[in-house]
Amino acid sequence: MSTAISTQNLTKIYEGALRGQDVHALNELSLDVEEGEIFGYLGPNGSGKTTTIKMLLGLIFPTQGTIKIFGNSAISSAAVKKNIGYLPEGAYYPDFLRGEEILSYYGKLYGLRGSDLKKRIDATMDMVGMQHARKRLLRGYSKGMRQRIGLAQALISDPKLLILDEPTTGLDPIARKEIRDILLRLREEGKTLLISSHELLEVELMSNRVGILYNGTLQTIGSVDELLVKREMTVSVDGIDDGIASELSSRGITVEDRTGGRATLRIGSTLSIYDAIELCKSKSLELNSVAPRRETLEELFVRVIGAAEADRR
Amino acid sequence: MNAISSFFRGPYYIALYTYREGIRRKMLIGFLVLSLLVIFGSSFISSFLDPSAETDIDLKLIKDICVAAISIFGVLITVYISASVVPNEIENKVIYTVLSKPVGRMQYLLGKFMGAQLIIIVNLLLMGGLFFMALYLRQGIMPTLLLWSILLTYFEFLIVSAFTFAISCAATTSLVPIMGGLFVYITGNLTEYLKDVENRASQTTEWLDMIIGKVATGLYAVLPNLQNFSLKTQIVNGQPNDPLLDVFIPSLLLYGSIYGLAGFLCAYVIFWRKEV
Repeated sequence: MSTAISTQNLTKIYEGALRGQDVHALNELSLDVEEGEIFGYLGPNGSGKTTTIKMLLGLIFPTQGTIKIFGNSAISSAAVKKNIGYLPEGAYYPDFLRGEEILSYYGKLYGLRGSDLKKRIDATMDMVGMQHARKRLLRGYSKGMRQRIGLAQALISDPKLLILDEPTTGLDPIARKEIRDILLRLREEGKTLLISSHELLEVELMSNRVGILYNGTLQTIGSVDELLVKREMTVSVDGIDDGIASELSSRGITVEDRTGGRATLRIGSTLSIYDAIELCKSKSLELNSVAPRRETLEELFVRVIGAAEADRR
Repeated sequence: MNAISSFFRGPYYIALYTYREGIRRKMLIGFLVLSLLVIFGSSFISSFLDPSAETDIDLKLIKDICVAAISIFGVLITVYISASVVPNEIENKVIYTVLSKPVGRMQYLLGKFMGAQLIIIVNLLLMGGLFFMALYLRQGIMPTLLLWSILLTYFEFLIVSAFTFAISCAATTSLVPIMGGLFVYITGNLTEYLKDVENRASQTTEWLDMIIGKVATGLYAVLPNLQNFSLKTQIVNGQPNDPLLDVFIPSLLLYGSIYGLAGFLCAYVIFWRKEV
């Protein structure tokens, strides 16, 4: 498998007007995104995600370090850009144009014309499920439809690499699922996707690998399975009260989602599941279910960022 | 040949998009409607004047109002559109979707600049066309002088537009370039005074005056003289089909084009490493 995106010691410093006011937006980022994978690029606001993306697209310039896209370091050349589709976060698409006119405009910028352009517009509209609304003015589009048209403009040239900044933010659950399905289909077609998002559940469901950025530094990178190694058991019980809850907590059991007498107990590493069940029985709790539980990406994210913040302090 | 046509294809599409987007702006429509009302209104007001007066005072009123309206609203439209086409795209992030396509920064700028010129030309033709009609209906003579004036006015606006565009490439909002553009227009119309300064300075032997004279000479050589493009006096005082006096059109067009190109190149120098 070859590398779609490769950065070496990529650094971006925004110079301040006065000495000491420089902002280190990105620190020596070395990152490889393999062809055909979905890479989730995560981090809190201001961590350097958008800075990285802008440098990949040649919109801003690195202070130091190198970038290669499909092995080519001339990232601003037309040859490289032909292979990239980009969906920025919260971009505006003019209201006075129809959906297909937007795609026609961007398609022409890729050099598509005539029947090739028409075929690509048809295929892209099909892919994003907008065939029915292609002749409507954008002012009549919902937020989800606009996002799909945004995705369509990124796909119009059938690029090998897609860079998507917050593709599902602000969408309702159905629209989010539809976008996710489109992105998974694109991966099946062999496209490479770099997705920057705050929607951690979406990223977890889609990504092969994730990288977490904090304060301009890559904190962790790996496949979702590699990173989400922390596994726990959970026990759903009835009949819990405050006294029992505090006693369980003192034994290393986390009481979650408590509603009346019902709660979910998360068993920590200090206790085996058998001991936990025995403990529940001794407290006359009614066991509803016992299930294994893997750490979520959100929990990993909070853990990694929390550790990075603590180190920084 | 193929490389040239493929280079200009991107700017062409960007220019058309810029034009379509630009002509829908409320501010621009407002300027245009106001200017057309003023030009149309001049004929209406002049109808209240005594038609038997031998001085053609009603005709002079039409000409005065129309020439002023085209200058004022024309330059407002020019400055507004040239100052906003790039900062607007940065603000609403459309620039990200364009520059991430196989479009170079030179092509992008050329497209935006050509789109702005298209808007300026269309607006100028609308205002000039109405003025042309007003004169033709009033006098029944083909106002050829006005056609030359419209052409020269466009080249005057081209210079203002190019330098406003250059300032807009350095700015993040359109307010600063609007101020800059108006400054260019006003300064360009005052360049003639630099010649007076130069002449006066040459009549004294004071070293300070001599330095001021040299600076004025230098500025006069560098700054565009927008008064060169003005046929206002001849239009207002002469007959509409008079031949051009003291004006050599090809050299003025070349003069305007060179300054326009200089302004555009300044824009490119500013923009080619701009972080968007």
